[in-house]
Amino acid sequence: MFEAIAFYLFAALTIAMFTITVMTSQALYALTAMAAGMIFISAFFFILGADFLGVIQIIVYTGAVMALYAFGMMFFDTTRTVVEKRDNPRVIFILGVLAATLVVFILVSPIISTHIEANYPINAAMGNSETIGLILFTKFLVPFEIAAVMLLVAMIAGIVLAGKKMDKSLTLMAEEEIALMSATQAKPETEEGAH
Amino acid sequence: MHVEPFTDRNVSEQSAYYYVDIENYPVTGWDKFKQVVKRSIKGELFVGLWVVMRELIKFDIHTVQYPKEKLPIGPRYRAVHKLLRLWESGFERCIGCGLCEKICISDCIRMDTRIDENSRKEVTEYSINLGRCIFCGYCAEVCPELAIVHGDRYENASEQRAHFVIKDDMLTPLDFLTSGQQKEYPGFGAITPHEDERVAKTPLAY
Amino acid sequence: MDVAFIIETIVKIVVILLVFSALAGFGTYFERKVLAFMQRRLGPMHVGPYGLLQVAADGIKLFTKEDIIPQNVVKPIFKLAPVITAATAFMAAAAIPFWPEFTAFGYKVHPIVADVNVGILYVMAVMAIGLYGPLLGGMASANKFSLISAARSAAVFISYEVITGLALLAPLMMVGSLSLIDINNYQTGGISNWIAVSQPVAFILFWIAAFAETGRTPFHLVANDHEIIDGFGTEYSGMRWGLFFIGEYANMFFISFVMAIIFLGGYGDGSIAGALQLLLKVAFFFFFFLWTRAAWPDIRPDQLMWLCWKVLMPIAVVNVVITGVVILIKQGGM
Repeated sequence: MFEAIAFYLFAALTIAMFTITVMTSQALYALTAMAAGMIFISAFFFILGADFLGVIQIIVYTGAVMALYAFGMMFFDTTRTVVEKRDNPRVIFILGVLAATLVVFILVSPIISTHIEANYPINAAMGNSETIGLILFTKFLVPFEIAAVMLLVAMIAGIVLAGKKMDKSLTLMAEEEIALMSATQAKPETEEGAH
Repeated sequence: MHVEPFTDRNVSEQSAYYYVDIENYPVTGWDKFKQVVKRSIKGELFVGLWVVMRELIKFDIHTVQYPKEKLPIGPRYRAVHKLLRLWESGFERCIGCGLCEKICISDCIRMDTRIDENSRKEVTEYSINLGRCIFCGYCAEVCPELAIVHGDRYENASEQRAHFVIKDDMLTPLDFLTSGQQKEYPGFGAITPHEDERVAKTPLAY
Repeated sequence: MDVAFIIETIVKIVVILLVFSALAGFGTYFERKVLAFMQRRLGPMHVGPYGLLQVAADGIKLFTKEDIIPQNVVKPIFKLAPVITAATAFMAAAAIPFWPEFTAFGYKVHPIVADVNVGILYVMAVMAIGLYGPLLGGMASANKFSLISAARSAAVFISYEVITGLALLAPLMMVGSLSLIDINNYQTGGISNWIAVSQPVAFILFWIAAFAETGRTPFHLVANDHEIIDGFGTEYSGMRWGLFFIGEYANMFFISFVMAIIFLGGYGDGSIAGALQLLLKVAFFFFFFLWTRAAWPDIRPDQLMWLCWKVLMPIAVVNVVITGVVILIKQGGM
């Protein structure tokens, strides 16, 4: 009974939170509702007995949404509502509804066709986190490593992009140096324009 | 630490600016790393920890719990004024000359006098507006009779302006005088100690 | 579900809430006294004997003060933010074993609310959510200093989560369990078994990261008085501001418990002496938070980032690799 109550409670909360995320035009509401929704989702993992995944859900998504907050802070005045520009609301509506139904259809069809059974049920002797480790490093080793390499590539790319001229400080440089630097920066573009 | 006198500025030769030795700011990453390692190994952080721990153990508290404890004030401290009496007769010392009223630069002393039945000049009214007084001490200095002096009462908050000093508050009460609580004023304008030894007789030879 | 279990859990929750909100109050008293003594002052002296009732006076003041909500703030978020800080601080306590098992009135008591087998991860995750409080409070406040504070708290969070995780990874590899009780039981039998002895680097790293997570003095840049007023708390007043405070101090206590259990042997074999030792260790860690506040200067945000990404993180990664290699060699896998 407790599990049913918890499930319906968190289902309602999650849906409400993500509805706010989509509907509101206030960046701070959207971000906060999204963070809350992500944390409420972890409740389902806890209800299912997958403690490890639930906690990982919290850790990963609090960090991820925190980064989103940082972007929100940079791009908006988060205490004001954002005026969105909608050129063709009808197309957006139709596409949105189509995408949503597709997702629901894809996720629900296996449940309707065959009753889902856990491939790797919780092993009481081993504990959840060890099972996850075993599966990740045996059956799903290749995708796992590929994902790791992709993340590494993304990280290096990010460092390279952000790390340009990181050794220079505009506040410590003299005016002439800054002028010289911007001149040399602008030069290749004018050359290209000449060709 | 080294001393660098500034001869080209309007600073006297004796005084000089003391410069704390500041290391060159690290530029390269390796230099910064070396700085961090040096600071970590030198244990500057732990020196700081030890210093505060030492103070905690020594428990050498310097707080003065003000309303309960008060710091002694200097004898020449200029706080709220007092009007003194003559030691023997108990009469007021003030002769109503009006010098204090005249010299007061913030114009806060007011006095009223009359000739009494003994044809002495009597001060009927004497008030100092402490809200305006700047406690410069000129009145005490100028007083020829050492009648108005500065006391040691420095807590002069009040609910009403009318409470700021009137004559009755300042004048030493008679019972205080008889019980010997009126102290001779050693401060601003008073005779310095050992004055008798220093006074030379006026030569009458000429 | 068993009714007795539910009642027991509720009693535990109430006890933890009461004890630690009172302790958070007294934490402020200890902090003021310790800082005062280290600076040759007396600290609070007037309310009650030796100022002991200052906490009550402050509480009454905070509760009765007007709850000001300034114009232009994002009201719901502004109201929510302090609650997040305080609530998550106490939620994190659910998986911490505060005391070994004991028997009272013939009833066996486990002084842990929920013995989940991912205890330490749960504690760290919920403490991480706690940093949303300063972030949201700062962003919703419509105040430049609050916004700077929010940006700093986001930066600190994103960086020092990495250090906490990597520093914990090495001890967890040795123990092979995420449950705080298992970690504690791994270290029974004397100081030589403590993880702080076998993993000193991880211990120091975690300790440093704990300072960043609780926002205590060397890393107090989230609400650094002389730069950004009170940071995220600038616009707050009354009990909402007080909730931030309770959250901060409760967090300090809980992270002290976590450090004592993971690295310093926890309550040992579960005897009364071991339990008292645990309290002593926690008291030491809490005292150290106050001690550093008296002794050390604050560092700049860029220095904090530099320290995190260029010094601590490489050390943590190397530590994890070395630990892995040593474990492999010990198991004879190589």
